[in-house]
Amino acid sequence: MSLRTGAQKNYTAEYDNEDDFSDSTNTSVSENPTEEEDEDQLLDEDFNAQRPKKITIKKPKVKSGTNNSQSTNVSVDAPPEFVPDVVSKMFNNNRHDFTYLKLKPDHASRPLWISPSDGRIILESFSPLAEQAQDFLVTIAEPISRPSHIHEYRITAYSLYAAVSVGLETDDIIAVLNRLSKVPVAPSIIEFIKGATVSYGKVKLVLKHNRYFVESTQADILQMLLKDEVLGKLRIDSTDQITSSSGLATEKAPEKGDLVIPGTKKPNGEEVNDDVADIYASVVGERAEEEDDDDDDLDAVHSFEISHESVEIVKKRCQEIDYPVLEEYDFRNDSRNPDLDIDLKPSTQIRPYQEKSLSKMFGNGRARSGIIVLPCGAGKTLVGITAACTIRKSVIVLCTSSVSVMQWRQQFLQWCTIQPENVAVFTSDNKEMFQSEAGLVVSTYSMVANTRNRSHDSQKVMDFLTSREWGFIILDEVHVVPAAMFRRVVTTIAAHAKLGLTATLVREDDKISDLNFLIGPKLYEANWMDLAQKGHIANVQCAEVWCPMTSEFYQEYLRESARKRMLLYIMNPTKFQACQFLIHYHEQRGDKIIVFADNVYALQEYALKLGKPFIYGSTPQQERMNILQNFQYNDQVNTIFLSKVGDTSIDLPEATCLIQISSHYGSRRQEAQRLGRILRAKRRNDEGFNAFFYSLVSKDTQEMYYSTKRQAFLVDQGYAFKVITHLHGMENLPNLAYSSVRERRELLQEVLLKNEDAAGLEIGDDADNSVGRGSNVIKRSGSNSNNNNNRSKAQRTAGSLASLAGGEDMAYVEYSSNKNKELKEHHPLIQKMYYKNMKKK
Amino acid sequence: MPRAIKGVLVECDASIRALIVRIDSERHDVVIQELDETHLLIDSTKVEFVKNELNRLLAKNTYNPLEEEELAAAN
Repeated sequence: MSLRTGAQKNYTAEYDNEDDFSDSTNTSVSENPTEEEDEDQLLDEDFNAQRPKKITIKKPKVKSGTNNSQSTNVSVDAPPEFVPDVVSKMFNNNRHDFTYLKLKPDHASRPLWISPSDGRIILESFSPLAEQAQDFLVTIAEPISRPSHIHEYRITAYSLYAAVSVGLETDDIIAVLNRLSKVPVAPSIIEFIKGATVSYGKVKLVLKHNRYFVESTQADILQMLLKDEVLGKLRIDSTDQITSSSGLATEKAPEKGDLVIPGTKKPNGEEVNDDVADIYASVVGERAEEEDDDDDDLDAVHSFEISHESVEIVKKRCQEIDYPVLEEYDFRNDSRNPDLDIDLKPSTQIRPYQEKSLSKMFGNGRARSGIIVLPCGAGKTLVGITAACTIRKSVIVLCTSSVSVMQWRQQFLQWCTIQPENVAVFTSDNKEMFQSEAGLVVSTYSMVANTRNRSHDSQKVMDFLTSREWGFIILDEVHVVPAAMFRRVVTTIAAHAKLGLTATLVREDDKISDLNFLIGPKLYEANWMDLAQKGHIANVQCAEVWCPMTSEFYQEYLRESARKRMLLYIMNPTKFQACQFLIHYHEQRGDKIIVFADNVYALQEYALKLGKPFIYGSTPQQERMNILQNFQYNDQVNTIFLSKVGDTSIDLPEATCLIQISSHYGSRRQEAQRLGRILRAKRRNDEGFNAFFYSLVSKDTQEMYYSTKRQAFLVDQGYAFKVITHLHGMENLPNLAYSSVRERRELLQEVLLKNEDAAGLEIGDDADNSVGRGSNVIKRSGSNSNNNNNRSKAQRTAGSLASLAGGEDMAYVEYSSNKNKELKEHHPLIQKMYYKNMKKK
Repeated sequence: MPRAIKGVLVECDASIRALIVRIDSERHDVVIQELDETHLLIDSTKVEFVKNELNRLLAKNTYNPLEEEELAAAN
């Protein structure tokens, strides 16, 4: 009886969720803004205020109306003369019958199709036009799924905001879509695009020459704003500019001009590195030519000045009247904030996709705020650094752990010319600030967002941070930070431009959209497969290994509670054997292997049994460093076991193979982050090199469910998971563990005796500061769980009164360890002085 | 006089065998004889029932993204 034939890993695109889309965008206009988003209590009033109002798609016929009034349900915007045919009923009761959209005669050469009901775009990625189309689609739509042949995107209100903010115009978006689409773009989509883009991004608040200007390309909008009772009064007269009769200052629109993103080769030559510009040139080319002659002032912007104090009021008011302002930072014309002496080293080269993402950010010579999404190992740090070198103002970098703080600092020193004394680090054990006028600070979210009592030193640093005006803030790993903490960070630190960096813009709690308001729209999202093909990240073979449960384990599994079940499927002897076999096999090939286990009990059992080093939350820092260094340089240590502390911050370019034995339920982010550990493999450019990612799954258990769920994100990025049902040759492995029934029974007994707690995951989030994690000492195996964990703080000893009072011949010893000794590296200043002294001697 | 019961020989994975035994443990009228790790003899009239039960139990372990979207759409 074979019950499970081949796994279904490639999802088809035919979902049935028309309602889904209309729900999210089709809220009624009359809705009170305070009522919306009950789940967003974390967000302050301010931020609700910054949130663009929801827009309405006015569909020609409302669905429910059609249902009641007419006998036939016709698709939402089918022309009245459209007659559904016999099979129409099969397409969601006529509503998904789009046959009235006739194919264009040359449809074969056009690469995409847009679903009129939900804005889903299906792109043939094998079409010759696909590459250009992709660049365009990434700008205006959210990539949903990008496997090798057919891509799926979706137009959403957010993605359109992002498109507008990088400078695309409503009509151009529609024109390009029409060009690329196999069928005419449906009226509902056009309506939707117009609705989302009509007011957004038309008004900009620009800081230049230390003065704030409200700016727009359309004079009538500004006129309208000036007539507004609140805004009209706030305008101040600019004396040095020629004001036209309308009372508005007019000047040439900002262009990229002479701004060169450091590290890019072509300053502003023929090939402007903006592919969207390219596709415009090719697709709306003739239109642009027409306009060339008569539309000289199309590129002009109009502006009026407002005072510093009224900036907040203007922002609020514009939000209220539905013209939310886009903030841009004209850093080249900002002389109030001192310049930072920072430049990329001449040897630093940035890759084409990094350049592309930065060109989105600095498209018009000013800095826009937003998020850039690049896979792990694709050089997010360098993008951040290059952006900082472009703006050249004081920079603050926030990341998730003090390990990454050190990495960021080190990377800055490695790639650019900034002086070490201008790079300050703000962590729990390092609170020095730079002394010069401008500088760079690297810190963690928790340090900055902390609201509890601070030490005197850190309060001083915080005062320093909040009192200054920052040119640029880099927010690393934005997806992990809770909205509340984020808000605190963004509000306490005054920065002109914000850049969020992440690899996985997914959260299981769907709080991602909040980032749109806290930071800005998504500016760029790279295609993983594309980067892998071009050799920027490693090629990875993904496999899911199905390990059948042994009958005795499965019988217990069926009987046990949910938590204990987890322990049983992780400790499944077959899984252990598979793990042993894979380690053996890959060590023979010369691979360096990382084994991931979320469950600490399993981690220890596996590692001890196989005689491999392991690292988990409570491994001391020194030991960690030791193990990691051995893994990197010692030929004898080819395999290490890591708990989830290794998910993000540990950077091991040597690793070429990953084995995952247990994981955090169905977390897509964790799966992607773990995969990221091998994407930067050093050997990735060797010919025929493949990295391997194995996920071991116990068959017929809950794990199967989680496993599929976890893979969804990577599958959408185009990774294919092979299912391995049988590892060939596993039975013949010498010293195979648990090969006899007796051993298996013993293991089962041991697992069953385990306390339920052992099944739990390691406490704390992977984003936690991994240095300060000593407190979660995990229960040691094989004993009554509560007795010998945490060493108790107080020690009881019996002794005479005299001895306790110090009357005997003894000395006191201070047991508390000196934090300074844990510092791996001395402060640069101290180091400098120390070495100077050394030299003198 | 020997009594004969009509049975169906089931060959399956160890885990499925454990599931069938579990189904049987509540009613005691399914399994006639447990033969070895991968074989069972079950009552021929209960074959359909066993199949349905197995499908039901195993479906819990399969993740179906379409299902989830349907749920979301229904809400």
